[in-house]
Amino acid sequence: MAVAEQQENPLLEGLRLRRTPDPCALVIFGASGDLTKRKLFPALYSLALRHLLPERFGIIGVARTEESDDDFREAMKAAVQEFGRDAFQQETWDWLAERTRYVATDFADEGGQQRLVGALNELDEKQGTSGNRVYYLAVPPSAIATLIHEIGEHRSTDGWTRLIVEKPFGRDLASAQELNAELQQSFEEREVFRIDHYLGKETVQNLLALRFANGIFEPIWNRQFVDHVQITVAESIGIEGRAAFYEQAGAIRDIFQNHLLQLVALTAMEPPIDFTAESVRNEKVKVLRAMHTPGPKHVVRGQYGQGFIEGEEVPGYRDEPGVARDSMTETFVAAKLFVDNWRWADTPFYVRAGKRLARRETTIAIEFKRAPHPPFEESAEGELQPNVLVVHIQPDEGVSLEFAAKVPGQGLTLRTVHMDFLYGGAFRTGIPEAYERLILDCLLGDTTLFTRSDEVEEQWSLVDAIVAFWKRDRPAFPNYEAGTWGPAAADELMRRDGRSWRRH
Amino acid sequence: MAAALGSIAEIERELGAQRVDPESGQPMQRTSVMTHLAWVPEQWVEAAEDVLSGLAERHPSRTIVLVPDPDAEDALEASVEVDCYPVGEHRKVSMETIRLKLCGKRVQAPASVVEPLLLPDLPVFLRWRGLPPFGEQPFEQLVDTVDRLIVDSTEWPGLPAPYGRLADIFDRVAVSDIAWARTSRWRAQLASLWPGIAGVRRIKVLGTEAQAHLLAGWLRSRLGRKIELEHEAADRLTGVELDGEPTPFPPGDPPDPADLLSDELERFTRDRVYEDAVSATRM
Ligand SMILES: NC(=O)c1ccc[n+]([C@@H]2O[C@H](COP(=O)([O-])OP(=O)(O)OC[C@H]3O[C@@H](n4cnc5c(N)ncnc54)[C@H](OP(=O)(O)O)[C@@H]3O)[C@@H](O)[C@H]2O)c1
Repeated sequence: MAVAEQQENPLLEGLRLRRTPDPCALVIFGASGDLTKRKLFPALYSLALRHLLPERFGIIGVARTEESDDDFREAMKAAVQEFGRDAFQQETWDWLAERTRYVATDFADEGGQQRLVGALNELDEKQGTSGNRVYYLAVPPSAIATLIHEIGEHRSTDGWTRLIVEKPFGRDLASAQELNAELQQSFEEREVFRIDHYLGKETVQNLLALRFANGIFEPIWNRQFVDHVQITVAESIGIEGRAAFYEQAGAIRDIFQNHLLQLVALTAMEPPIDFTAESVRNEKVKVLRAMHTPGPKHVVRGQYGQGFIEGEEVPGYRDEPGVARDSMTETFVAAKLFVDNWRWADTPFYVRAGKRLARRETTIAIEFKRAPHPPFEESAEGELQPNVLVVHIQPDEGVSLEFAAKVPGQGLTLRTVHMDFLYGGAFRTGIPEAYERLILDCLLGDTTLFTRSDEVEEQWSLVDAIVAFWKRDRPAFPNYEAGTWGPAAADELMRRDGRSWRRH
Repeated sequence: MAAALGSIAEIERELGAQRVDPESGQPMQRTSVMTHLAWVPEQWVEAAEDVLSGLAERHPSRTIVLVPDPDAEDALEASVEVDCYPVGEHRKVSMETIRLKLCGKRVQAPASVVEPLLLPDLPVFLRWRGLPPFGEQPFEQLVDTVDRLIVDSTEWPGLPAPYGRLADIFDRVAVSDIAWARTSRWRAQLASLWPGIAGVRRIKVLGTEAQAHLLAGWLRSRLGRKIELEHEAADRLTGVELDGEPTPFPPGDPPDPADLLSDELERFTRDRVYEDAVSATRM
């Protein structure tokens, strides 16, 4: 036997074994909240259904509200049934419910952690979770610093500890740096998982596959061939009752600082040498560093007024419950950004994000330069459109390429046609939700799809610079109607350059 | 059902016509990742249709079902079905199934029927139902047309002898065996018994004959030694004993047939471990 033990196991060859996470306990702070109900439990259920969670696993929901274990399980069961992507199976739920507990406590109180520590020790004994811990901070930003501090003070000495921090991470550079400093007191960078759920989306990862697994795109992915890039993160919904949060955040903190800048970074980054967390994040940070602050003329903000969505009248932002009648919070932001490096110098990245726009859509469009000398002047000059490669992130995930083709018949009439690759159409394995991927990656200890401390600080310093300009004037809000594509100034931002936003 | 189509040109015309979305008048998008051929002798048709319907959702492809009827009068009888389903919020995608009955002498030249219908540049998979007639025309021809052959040796009589014939074609085409895929949970389980399993002399398998031979072949080829096989028939793999000791049951649920085929359709390279196991079935 001694010989065999030293040898590698020949039976493993060719077996497609999935990595399963170590035994561990997942502690969700903010368990009585919206995110836990809408995203976290449905994701955990889908992971359980696919046997992706470790057998020795436990979940402890934590919030200040008093609630029994049973009530919490009932509420989560209802949440899984309502928001889950998979058909509900009692057996899978029982597996999960058996491992789920609830602890009501307030970490701000002296000794508030004791109840949780007790529950965790019990779990280690009963489920064999061996001291491994994931803490998911699904709480309002105001509660985060205390929790980080307390968790750090009482971190388990056996096994590993990881921390998932929801967005928003800070509200400006200073507060983000403070949070990072607090984290660094007790945690290593590799133990911190800052969520930007866009990175968990399949199509966002597919952007990397598209760029770096295909030989035809990378050679033209630069200033020589690309005229400009347009990135749109459009929502048709309003603030959905989250006025308290949104009044403080606005579009720039809600979407621009995180999702939008992530998309810019992924679009513009250099090929990483491998797909490890550090290589990928190094490249993204380089892009953020290379971006210079847009001047006030290159940034447009907007706020929606009353209008129509899908034929239904909707109130303006200032008439939403909980919003100040004279609120100056922006619900729309557009900007012209530059990434100052060899690849992208002088190639503008036009980005926009907003609420109550004409439709829900997230796309990255790479618009190529026009054909240098089309020999079709007479018949087709006006019709000849540049080639555009569009990466659709939602709702219809996929990639499409627009190019000119001849209309059948006499003469030479040209039309723009689409060549589409629909992600959902080609691989119908059921696209996992972003939160499934992200929770699983964290359980496995893979930080690739999470935002690093220097990355988030670069993002904030750009935002701070933009917001600083905004303090100087008061635009006439509202300046766009709900259900349109934002203020006229956003169109002007492109028209000045002889370009226009893509329409669909 | 309309009258059968009798030529490739008619098939192509019908595909084009059916691909137009009646609502918009625009052609629906075709999203394909492969051409999937299925050789389905009459007695397998029902089982094959069941699996195909489970598969369509996951592997949009052009599926060509070939039903040989050597005793009928020389002819080609085809029908075409374009199914569309919504993708995302605004679009529809179509998938095509071509059912081809090869009558009389046409059975001997399936490649010439299939070639013009393959989707350009995409891999071609051939699912052969039942025991392939190794060395005979229709099978040999199709093997050279496709990138991957998928069989289920559970469907084969007279094991393990046919594994010898199968091994002969490994250099010509990549082969997947659904019987092998069905043993994967157990292989993972047995692998977890390393290094204790290194000295095993005898394996007893409660399952199909194919599974028994493949598991024994696998252990022999991986461990590089003779291992005796005892087989107790069951219609699914329900137990393995090593030197008289029962192995713990593997975790998880057994996969369903459409899942198994679907997994095999995701592989593109030769499966050397399987090939070694097949070659060691007759040791
Ligand atoms: N909802 C979403 O779809 C979504 C999407 C992206 C990011 N996020 C982020 O996720 C976090 C949670 O969002 P949410 O929508 O779930 O908020 P929520 O519905 O307001 O829930 C907040 C949760 O935190 C708990 N909590 C509040 N103050 C606390 C404190 N001082 N100490 C401890 N626990 C406290 C609350 O429970 P008790 O009052 O019982 O303690 C509640 O369970 C926020 O950072 C948010 O920005 C949410």
